[in-house]
Amino acid sequence: MPNPAVAASDNVHLLYRAHHGWLHGWLRAKLGNSFDAADLAQDTFVRVLRHRHELDALREPRAYLTTIAKRLLLNHHRRRSVEQAYLEALALVPEAMAPSAEQRLIILETLLEIDEMLAGLSLPARQAFLMAQLEGLSHGEIAARLNVSLRTVHRYIAKGYEQCIMASI
Amino acid sequence: MHHGVDLRGAGEAMPELPPVERSVAREAARWLLRLGSGRATDADLRACERWRASKAEHEHAWQRAQRVNERFGLIPAALGMATLNRPELNSRRAALKTLIALVVAGPAAWAAWRVDPLDWTADYRSAPGERREVALADGSTLLLNTASAVDVMFGSTVRLLRLRAGEIAVHAVADTAPQPRPFVVRTSLGDIEAQASRFCVRQEGGLCRVSVQEGRVRLSSAAHPRSPVSLAAGEQSSLMDEGASAPSAADPHASDWQRGVLYANRMPLTAFATELGRYRPGILRCDPEAAHLRISGAFQVRDTDAVLAALPATLPVQVRYRTPYWVTIALRAPAEA
Repeated sequence: MPNPAVAASDNVHLLYRAHHGWLHGWLRAKLGNSFDAADLAQDTFVRVLRHRHELDALREPRAYLTTIAKRLLLNHHRRRSVEQAYLEALALVPEAMAPSAEQRLIILETLLEIDEMLAGLSLPARQAFLMAQLEGLSHGEIAARLNVSLRTVHRYIAKGYEQCIMASI
Repeated sequence: MHHGVDLRGAGEAMPELPPVERSVAREAARWLLRLGSGRATDADLRACERWRASKAEHEHAWQRAQRVNERFGLIPAALGMATLNRPELNSRRAALKTLIALVVAGPAAWAAWRVDPLDWTADYRSAPGERREVALADGSTLLLNTASAVDVMFGSTVRLLRLRAGEIAVHAVADTAPQPRPFVVRTSLGDIEAQASRFCVRQEGGLCRVSVQEGRVRLSSAAHPRSPVSLAAGEQSSLMDEGASAPSAADPHASDWQRGVLYANRMPLTAFATELGRYRPGILRCDPEAAHLRISGAFQVRDTDAVLAALPATLPVQVRYRTPYWVTIALRAPAEA
């Protein structure tokens, strides 16, 4: 009897050989640069490897690959936008108070994680949650700032916690 | 479901907590809300503990929440708000408010979480746009240009200034101590030794420029400390990695900054943006397409926004403010025919 794990990994090889070049081209067209496209194509296949048990039922390999790649692409753009906002914010910090290179990296990685955790929240819930968690504002202050009721703030904060608990790494 | 898409995340080092059902996450969120309300009683606390102990999954949800709180604790508030509540997620107005709040709340908020105190120990420093005069114990005076930092270490054998960053003008007086001590400005590239004199020192990149207005100074480069270069009034030289350059006639405008003036004579616009950018917080850049333009004039650096606003009157450029702290000088689009 064939070993199913080996068979699945063979499937990944076949998939890679048949579609990697195409996927790279597809990503390059979306991203406009070859390096990021190569990275994301690689990440896509890493995901495929992690979920190789799904390959047996695979009928539309390119649709499957683009589904994964689209998610990674979205993530890539989100990361870029976090990095961009972070750099702009850092530029405002007086040089003497700027964090060290190592601190900068730790903060950036943490920001990327938090941003990912918050991805599913509505904008006002996200703002309320950030005001509470980062700025330490009371729920009453948040209600006043966002011009919503206290009840609504409670709902936002609870939603924020729920979301983070579900998504935390 | 677990959303750990990022393979390089800092979280990888931590053991992964088991996933929890949404209904359990929601219950945990309610407990967090109640305990964080400020009106929680001892009974609430005990009830929460009972809830956590009643099921392993409850405790897992709780631990996940604690980890989330730890993550937030690593982020300086102002920086976190500017990034996580970033412009593209909001209206532009709200974004600007965040940035302004960051600047206003900045120093205290930053000082509160700084870990490394080393950079903060300079005896005297000036903020971007600031000029600062310091009277020294021996009667000498020191003027710091924008964004500069200096340590003062006067001892029994030497009067030592350490230039950490930026640009200074020194008026060194003759020492009145029975055994006159030399006046030394130490930079990363070498020493400038003086008796009674006026001179300017500017550190930028891998270069330290020294110009003398009165008296004499002697430059000893870190590379060749045994072959010093002597500078007379009206001369300048640069300390570099390779040593001190031969003396040349001093730039007559080298000390204009002491009057708050930036002088440009057919200066490339990129260099001008860099110079003007020293006097304001944030980033001022020149678009490469406008880099070939040249600018001349004497500009008051006290109000850099006014200088920028006046540029389109003399050059075919426009000044784009993405925020007050992120400004680009770019070629103006040609007018419609």
